[in-house]
Amino acid sequence: MKRQWPKPMLSSAWFCVTAFYVAASAIAAEPQQPPGCYAASSFHAAWIKVGERTCMKCHNAGGEAAESKFLLRDVSKVPATERAGALIKNCETFTRMALAKDAGGQSRLLAKATGGLEHGGGEVLKRDSTAFRVLKNFVESLSNRQATSDTPGRLIDDDLSSFFDGVEMISDHRLLRRITLSLAARLPSDVERQAVGKNGLSAVRQVLTALMREDAFYERLLEGFNDILLTLGYNGNGEDVLSYDHFQHTRHWYQKHSLDHIPEKERQRARYKLANEYRDAMRREPLELLRYIVEQDRPFTEILTADYTMVSPYTARGYGIFEELKDEFEDSDDPFEFIPTKIKALKNRAGKVQPSKDGDYPHAGVLSMFQYLRRYPTTETNRNRLRARMYYDHFLGVDIMSLAPRVGDAAAIDAQYEIPTMQAAECVVCHRTIDPIAGLFQDYYNEMGHYGPRKDGWFDDMFGPGREGDDLPESEQWRALQWLGKRTVTDPRFAIAMTEHVYYILMGRKVLRPPGDIDDPQFAACRQAYLAQRELIDTAAGRFSETGFNLKSIFQDLTVAPFYRADGLAVAVDQPERQAELDDIGIVRMLSPEQIERKIIAIFGRPWGRLDGTYAILYGGIDSKEVTERLTEPSGAIGSLQRILANAVACKNVAADFALPPAERRLFPSIEPDVTPNVDDPKAEQQIRDAIVHLHQYVLGRDDRPNDPEVDQTYRLFAGVVAEATARERFEKVESYFCKSQGQEGPRDPDPHYTIRAWRAVVTYLLRQQEFLYE
Amino acid sequence: MRRDFLKWCAATGLGLAVPGRTGSSLFADEKRELPAYDGPYFVVCNASGGWDTTALMDPKGVDGINRLYKEGDILTEGALKFAPTAEHISEGMSNEDFFAKYAKELLVLNGLDYSVNNHSPCSRYMATGNLDSLAYPTFAALIAACRGRDAPLSFLTFGNYSGTGNLVPMARVPYIPSLKLLANADAVQGIPQHQYHEAFVNDHIERALAEQQQRRKSSIRLPRRARADDMLYAAQWNSQALSRITPHIPKSIPKDSLSQQAEIALASFKAGVCVSANLTIGQFDSHQKNDRDQMKLIPKFLASIDYLLRRAEELKIREKLVLVIQSEMGRTPTYNKGDGKDHWSIGSIMFLGPGIQGNRVIGATDNGQFAVPLNPKTLQGDSENGIRVRPEHIHAALRELTGITRHPSAGLFPFKIPSEEILMGMWG
Repeated sequence: MKRQWPKPMLSSAWFCVTAFYVAASAIAAEPQQPPGCYAASSFHAAWIKVGERTCMKCHNAGGEAAESKFLLRDVSKVPATERAGALIKNCETFTRMALAKDAGGQSRLLAKATGGLEHGGGEVLKRDSTAFRVLKNFVESLSNRQATSDTPGRLIDDDLSSFFDGVEMISDHRLLRRITLSLAARLPSDVERQAVGKNGLSAVRQVLTALMREDAFYERLLEGFNDILLTLGYNGNGEDVLSYDHFQHTRHWYQKHSLDHIPEKERQRARYKLANEYRDAMRREPLELLRYIVEQDRPFTEILTADYTMVSPYTARGYGIFEELKDEFEDSDDPFEFIPTKIKALKNRAGKVQPSKDGDYPHAGVLSMFQYLRRYPTTETNRNRLRARMYYDHFLGVDIMSLAPRVGDAAAIDAQYEIPTMQAAECVVCHRTIDPIAGLFQDYYNEMGHYGPRKDGWFDDMFGPGREGDDLPESEQWRALQWLGKRTVTDPRFAIAMTEHVYYILMGRKVLRPPGDIDDPQFAACRQAYLAQRELIDTAAGRFSETGFNLKSIFQDLTVAPFYRADGLAVAVDQPERQAELDDIGIVRMLSPEQIERKIIAIFGRPWGRLDGTYAILYGGIDSKEVTERLTEPSGAIGSLQRILANAVACKNVAADFALPPAERRLFPSIEPDVTPNVDDPKAEQQIRDAIVHLHQYVLGRDDRPNDPEVDQTYRLFAGVVAEATARERFEKVESYFCKSQGQEGPRDPDPHYTIRAWRAVVTYLLRQQEFLYE
Repeated sequence: MRRDFLKWCAATGLGLAVPGRTGSSLFADEKRELPAYDGPYFVVCNASGGWDTTALMDPKGVDGINRLYKEGDILTEGALKFAPTAEHISEGMSNEDFFAKYAKELLVLNGLDYSVNNHSPCSRYMATGNLDSLAYPTFAALIAACRGRDAPLSFLTFGNYSGTGNLVPMARVPYIPSLKLLANADAVQGIPQHQYHEAFVNDHIERALAEQQQRRKSSIRLPRRARADDMLYAAQWNSQALSRITPHIPKSIPKDSLSQQAEIALASFKAGVCVSANLTIGQFDSHQKNDRDQMKLIPKFLASIDYLLRRAEELKIREKLVLVIQSEMGRTPTYNKGDGKDHWSIGSIMFLGPGIQGNRVIGATDNGQFAVPLNPKTLQGDSENGIRVRPEHIHAALRELTGITRHPSAGLFPFKIPSEEILMGMWG
């Protein structure tokens, strides 16, 4: 049976408002024929500052006021070709309502907005607010129809076709380097460079397609999704996701696992290793599900609908299913080889088996994985609401807590109602959406995140289990999360949320939110930027759906989009409006500690090896547990670490590179340490400049000519260091003890001209630049 | 050469926001010419999860609101009332000791209305003064931006909501030993005697970076790129000032987390490299066994605040320290079935520091723990004409106290508070 509450629907721009649908009787007197659309300019202001932000929350086909005749269309959700028509239609609806009068002669639009005429949403605008003034201006502009020269055509202020005018895009070669470094942790191959040189962007697409089969891509993908899901960060040891009640005999298998084949004195260490790898593998399972889905080109909807889970030889032992699976592994000793499998319905110590009509654990992708449930545990008072919140955030892109409803006196409401979350309108508006989702997790009611229904039965002082107006049928109770998953992936918000996740992985920041302050002089410009980005997201999400939810299609679409390729400006932009529009354009992302380390490996062939643990947190990284948001701007602490990094990596690699035969060198393939700057030897200067051009290209990805100002700068640094050193009466003729090419055991490298140290200064300087530390 | 470089910097508009670093011949004797940030310093101590104000500065001895004491047990110290806790705690600092020591300096505001009662929005609201925006900076970030944006650790945060409004980078330094490392970035393993480059080489590198930055400033860039260039350059250049932390790094590390955070903040203040810090401890969310948990956490919290103030005294910066002591919500006046208390949208906040007249209580809750409206002009309870004091009122007052109300950075994040609602004379 359907509940009496109207069907709720949260959108990504959803706000908790105290609003109910308008009674049909309240609009019965409104004119039936729209008077057309005029006063277009004032309408546009009223639309972007009031209509789409406030009225449309309820007055849309799926909204609280769906039965009202004052129905509006979300212009951002219609195809570009229909946008103008939709906007004109909205203008007509607005105009009709504005021209209608109440008994006192006041515009019904203004009367309703301020809570009059039994407006179901109550007072949504205060009379002294900017929004009301904007609406009033619109109404007043209608009163002098002859005076306006506006035409509907002028409404199309949301034309985004010229949004990127004047923005320069990155060259195809640099885009290639950006993509291979970002997604595959390597530099482009010569073959890839040649292909892109010949075929441009289409070749970039082909490279990306191939690259998305490389292991490194999946490491990056999983790292990015862990930033979002944070499943690596659940409390306790890795195996703690397996309950004592169901896995008491198997979850600590590593403690008794035979290590007789290992010498006794090494056995303890081997057991530690075994335990650590088992725990790591257990933590990785949800991410490995993602890897499997993407790697096998399966629909990404399986993140919520997979009727299987992933296990490795080690985690399978934890579940007690290794023996039956061992032949399916390529290497049954590999702790990190994951395969899909199903787990049987859980049986507890007393022999009770969880309800299951097919005998299996009701897998529902990530939703039912123990790691996810433990990462977002519940309590007797939270009642799975955290899980409901995360469900909306992770899979529908709705941050329920981002904008909470302000109420007059929350404490009084708490005291006034016996069950505020079911009775007080201010609370009901959110809880009727959240609590049914919370109810769907009721079989996992355990503070440890384990399976186990609540002993006293599910709460009856909450809205019952279901999803946005649909009740969970009793027959589906045993697989409630499967029921939820199936409904979620058909929701258009799912595709958009996944696209936004990929955007985050690529850009290092979340998508723009709609601008909130209508008093901001740049409100319209910020809205334009928001709409341009929406168009990208919506288009990519549409293609994601069309391709059968292949996540790779989103990477394909976003990496060739102007948002990803924007690199500079053709001319200076002085207008504040245009500056505001372009404010978020371009990746310009400070690399994470993991990305920096991978980039060091890609360029220098070996890691720095320090950007983990404490250093990672200092450098703005996360631990997935308490520190869950990456820093995106460098503080002095990060600046200091960047200096350490540049010093250390240059120290480790410069003399070492010179020690190799030229053909094997990465940094200095065409110059030797005996080439010194000499005003009488232009050939030497040219040779040094060529070496700098190579370094700029190799380390920074810059395509400089030998006389580029950037090359001049680096040359001055090199020459200046050599000159000042040689001008001194004496300096050591060997490289630093700490930067020896052969490591600690080797001799100090000869450096009679101070050139190795000067080149080390150059590399230090390059490693401190934005082109290296950012993407 | 050093003077030439400084002149060059001045001529090109680069400026030198911070003093030089150890080991740099170019700038070594320039320290006095480049002043460190000298206070005031700002610390926001956050009891994350929601403290029980009836167990601290807003005692209630009626209707079983707090089971640990009766109305007659409520204690006073000067004008401040507080709940007796000495008998209920096994470690940390009792209310009795805390208020005996600090009541003269403490300003307490009771009856603060958070408007909502969920952790996430409450934390944001309490930290920024704006419930309706995700863009507003926390007070600690804003004051850092206004007072000393160039300081390398201008805004330190150890948790809690830490939005910066893009005004200033936030810095995380989770462990005390990290300070030594950061202070000696040009030395191998942080050992000052083992420099990677000779000093004159470092000077050449810095000069090259400075010239490059100057050249890029005059080029045409995307706004985001321009900002990033500037921030990166500033972060690296200003980080050289971290060398001054070295003498202030504590030799012994306190056991509890909040005191460790305090040490990092104090060393950074003392070195002139930090303006503000968000300190936080969690687990106040006592939905079960409220009294047990609050009697464990509040004394611990107070002991850490005491530690902070004592160490500030030792470092001779106590008189420059402004302290905001807060939580994101209160707890219900009733106990639930698990002897816990749930979220309550009414709470309290305390202040201490220069410019704040202590031994005062503003605002109140009634016997049901509901907020009593406050007359913003008289600061007395006024059921008819009073207002509900919300975080924006507090933040507006803090901006006045710290003299940043008209600062351009604050102007970017205004509070739309009617003039008649401004709290008058809040700080005494």
